[in-house]
Amino acid sequence: MKASRRLGTLVLTAVLVLGSVSLSTGPAFPQTRGGTITFALYQEPETLNPYIYVQTASGEVAVFIVEGLLAYNDKGEYFPRLATEVPSRQNGGISADGKTITYRLKEGLKWSDGQALTCEDVKFTWQAVIHPKSGAVNTSGFREIDTVECPSPTTVVVKYKTYYAPFLGQFTSGIMPKHATGDPAEMTRWAYNRKPIGTGPFVILEWVSGDHITLIRNRYYRESGKPILNAVIIRITPSREVGKQLVKTGEVDVLWDLAESDIPEIKPAAGVKISAAPGPGAERLVLNLADPALDGPPADEVAKHPHPILGDVRVREAIEWGINKRELNEKLLFGLASPGTNELHIGWATCTTRASEFDPNRARQLLDQAGWKVGSDGIRVAQGAKFAKDGTRLRLKLQTTTGNKLREQTEQLLIDYMKGIGIEFFIENVPSAVLFGSWSSGAFRKHGHYDVVLYTSSPDPDPHGQVEGYFASWKMPTAANSGDGFNYARWANKTADDNIKLAGSSPDLATRKKAYCAVMDELIKDRPHIYLYGRSTLNAYRERLQGWVTNVWQNLGWNAQDWSIK
Amino acid sequence: MARFIAHRFLQALPLLWLISLVVFVLLHIIPGGPMAAYGNNPNMTADDFKRLEHDLGLDAPLHVQYLRWLGAIVRGDWGYSLASKRPVLVEIGDRLPNTIYLIGVAIPITLLVAIPIGMLSAIRQYSVLDHSVTTVAFAGQSIPVFWFGLMLIIVFHVILRNPVSGTPLFPGGGMYTLGGPFSLIDRIHHLILPVAMLAVVSAATYTRYMRASMLEVITQDYVRTAHAKGATLSRVIWKHAFKNAAIPVVTILALELPTLFNGAVFTETIFSWPGMGRLFIESAFRYDYALLMAIIMIGAALTIFSNLFADVAYAFLDPRIRYT
Repeated sequence: MKASRRLGTLVLTAVLVLGSVSLSTGPAFPQTRGGTITFALYQEPETLNPYIYVQTASGEVAVFIVEGLLAYNDKGEYFPRLATEVPSRQNGGISADGKTITYRLKEGLKWSDGQALTCEDVKFTWQAVIHPKSGAVNTSGFREIDTVECPSPTTVVVKYKTYYAPFLGQFTSGIMPKHATGDPAEMTRWAYNRKPIGTGPFVILEWVSGDHITLIRNRYYRESGKPILNAVIIRITPSREVGKQLVKTGEVDVLWDLAESDIPEIKPAAGVKISAAPGPGAERLVLNLADPALDGPPADEVAKHPHPILGDVRVREAIEWGINKRELNEKLLFGLASPGTNELHIGWATCTTRASEFDPNRARQLLDQAGWKVGSDGIRVAQGAKFAKDGTRLRLKLQTTTGNKLREQTEQLLIDYMKGIGIEFFIENVPSAVLFGSWSSGAFRKHGHYDVVLYTSSPDPDPHGQVEGYFASWKMPTAANSGDGFNYARWANKTADDNIKLAGSSPDLATRKKAYCAVMDELIKDRPHIYLYGRSTLNAYRERLQGWVTNVWQNLGWNAQDWSIK
Repeated sequence: MARFIAHRFLQALPLLWLISLVVFVLLHIIPGGPMAAYGNNPNMTADDFKRLEHDLGLDAPLHVQYLRWLGAIVRGDWGYSLASKRPVLVEIGDRLPNTIYLIGVAIPITLLVAIPIGMLSAIRQYSVLDHSVTTVAFAGQSIPVFWFGLMLIIVFHVILRNPVSGTPLFPGGGMYTLGGPFSLIDRIHHLILPVAMLAVVSAATYTRYMRASMLEVITQDYVRTAHAKGATLSRVIWKHAFKNAAIPVVTILALELPTLFNGAVFTETIFSWPGMGRLFIESAFRYDYALLMAIIMIGAALTIFSNLFADVAYAFLDPRIRYT
C-alpha cells in the first residue's frame, strides 16, 4: 500500500510537471486599438516559407506576413506591393526583348525587425530558391534568370537567359530577408520558416502547434495607421465542420474555404456574410485519347495507337452533349457554380465560350454515326466504329478521389446521363494521393492507364504554366522526360501547339490572350477535357469584420491591413 | 526480480526491431505517398520533382530507406517531419504535454469514479444500486465514444447556455480561450467536456472490472474469516479485500499508460485538442513517414514496457507471485 502510494505520488508529480508546460501562458499582447479577430483554418500550415509549403492553408497564413514585389487584385491583374509600379514597356520596366525587367522598390521599406529592405534581399531570394539544396518546391522562372543586379538599393534589374512569359508573376510569392534567414543550402531548416520576418501588416507572435497562431500588428508596416486591427488569431480546427459551428456562434470571424454544399447551412445564420465568387478552378473530365494499355506514350505513339473508344472525337463530343451541366450545378452545387466552358473561364486571359447545352438526341445521333449501335441492354456496341473492334462494348472506367461527396454525387449523375445515351460508365475511385501520384510511383494518370478521370485543376493568374502543361503536345508525361508535364489526355493539336509557342514568346499581353483563346477554340472542338463546372471560392465572415475584399486570385488575407471591426 | 526485468528488456529489443520493420513496410506500401502533394502543381517540372524526391530520400529502394532509418535511430536521430521539415522530436514535444495534461487528468478522475462505484456495486450485489450501476456501465461501454462526444457538445455547448451571460455553458473545443490572459478557471472550463467524454466511457469499463474482481474476492474464505472474527465492514473491505481485488484493475491501468503518449484520437479531434492523437492522424493524411514511424515506435515501446510494468506491479501487490 505504501509503495503504491509512493508510485501514485510519482505519477501525479509527472502529470503536474508535464501538464504545467502546456498550462504556461502564451505571450500577452496589448488589447488596445483596433481589436482582435479570429480566423478558422481547417489545416495547419506545414511551414510559412512560401517557397517550401504545398498546402493552400499555409499561404492563407503567410499572406499576412510575407509580401512580394507585385500581387494580384480581385480582377487577376497585377498591382505593385513592394514595387512602385508594375513594370511595363511604357515605364521602361521591360526591355525591348522582354528579357530584362526593372523593378523600383518603394522608398523606406523596412522588415518587421526594423532593418531596411533592399534589392539585395530580392537577389538573395532568387539565389536561395535556385540553390540545389534549398528544397524549394517551385523553381520555374527562377532558373531562367541569369542575374539579378542591384544598381541602387531600390532598383532591381532582373535579367533572364531566355524569354519567360509569366515573368511578372516571378516575385509575387514573397521576398525573403537576407539578414534574417540563413544559408540557402539549409533553407528547409531555417527558423524563418516558422517565424518569418516579413513586410506585411502582421508579424507572428506565437505558433502553438495544432492549436493556433497569433499574429500582431507589424509596427514597421509602411502605411501609417495600418493595419487597423491589433491582432489576428488563426485558430486551427480539426475539420471544416468545427469551423462552421464556430462561425455560426460567432467564436470566429473568418472561415476559410467553404464548399457549395455548406451554404444552405451557413447562409441563414445570423450575423454571417458569405463571400462567393467564381474561382479559377474547374471540375473536369480528362479523357484519355491514347490506348490505355500503352505506358506513357509520346505523341507519335498516341497517333498510331489511339484509345479504342475515346480516340474518336465524335464519342467525346457525344459525352459532352449527353451531360446536363445545368442540372449538375443546380442539383449538387445549389446553383453557386457556373456551367463548365473552358480552362480560361476567368482572369485577364478569359476566353468566353458558351457552355454546351444538354442535347441527348444529338449525342445519340453522333454515336450512331460513329459506329456504336445500341445493344440488347441499351448499352452500345461497336459495329463499324473508327478504332474499336466490332463487338466492343461502349464501357468506360470513371475515376476520381475517394471521400469527396460532391465528386461521388457527380459520378452518380454522370452514370445516369451516359446510360441515357447508351454509354456505360463504371466507377473505380482511388485516394487522392494515388490519383495525383508521381511518375516514379507509377501513378496511372501520369502513365496513361485510365479512361476518364474527374478532378479540379486551377490555372494561376498567369495561365501559361497551366495551358502549356496540360495542352502542349510536348507536355505528355513519358519515360523519356521522366513524367514531365500534365497532358494526361495526350492531346496533340498543331494549331494549339503553335499558339502556345506564340504566347510563350510574346511579351505583349493582348497577343498572348489571343493565342490562348485560339488554343481554347481547338480545345472545345477536340474535347480532351470536358468542363463540368467552375468552382466558386467561398468564405464566410462575421458581419462585425469589415474591409475584406473577395479576391479569388489571392489568399483571403490579401488586404488585411484594411480590415477593421465595426 | 532484477534478472527478470533485465531479461524482459532484452526480449523487447528484437520485438521492437520486428515491429519497426513491419510498420515501415506497411506504411510504404500504402498507395500514394508524400510526393503526391506536389502532383497537381502545374509550375513544377519533372526536375523539381526528382530533386525534392531525392532530398526527402524517397528515390532510394525501400530496403535502403529502411536501413537509413534504422541507422539513424540507433544513433538517436528520429529525423525530420516530411511536411513541416522540423525535427520529429520537436513536433512530438509540442503536442505531448497537451496529451499528458488531458489523459493525466482523465485517468485519475475515471478511477476515482469507477473504483468506489464498482466496489459498492459488488458489496451490495443484486441491490437496486447494483442493477442500475451494471446497466449504466453496460450502456456506457456500448456507446460509440465519438457519438457521446458529439452529444456532449450539442447538449452542453449548443443547447445549454449560461443563464447570466448567454454564452455556451461549456466551450466546444480548444484548451483555453484564445487571446485572453491565463486563467485557471478558463483551463478547467475547457477541460470538463473532453475529460467527461474520456472518463465516462472508460469508467464504465473499470466499474465492471472492479465489481467482478471484488465479487470474487469477498466470497473467499479469508474475507469470511475476517467477518467472523468481528472486523468492521470497512476494515474487511479496505484492509482485506481491496488490495486483492485491485490486482486486475492495476493490470488494465498499466496497459492504459501508453495512452498518455498516444493520446485519444476521437476526443482530441472532436474537442480540437492539439494532442498526440491528432498529430498522428494529420501525419497519416500527409504520408509523413518519419513522424509516423516515431509515433508508432515510441507507442509500441511504451506498450511493451507498460506490460512489463504491469507484471512487476503484480508481484508487488500479490506476494504469491514470484518472478525468477
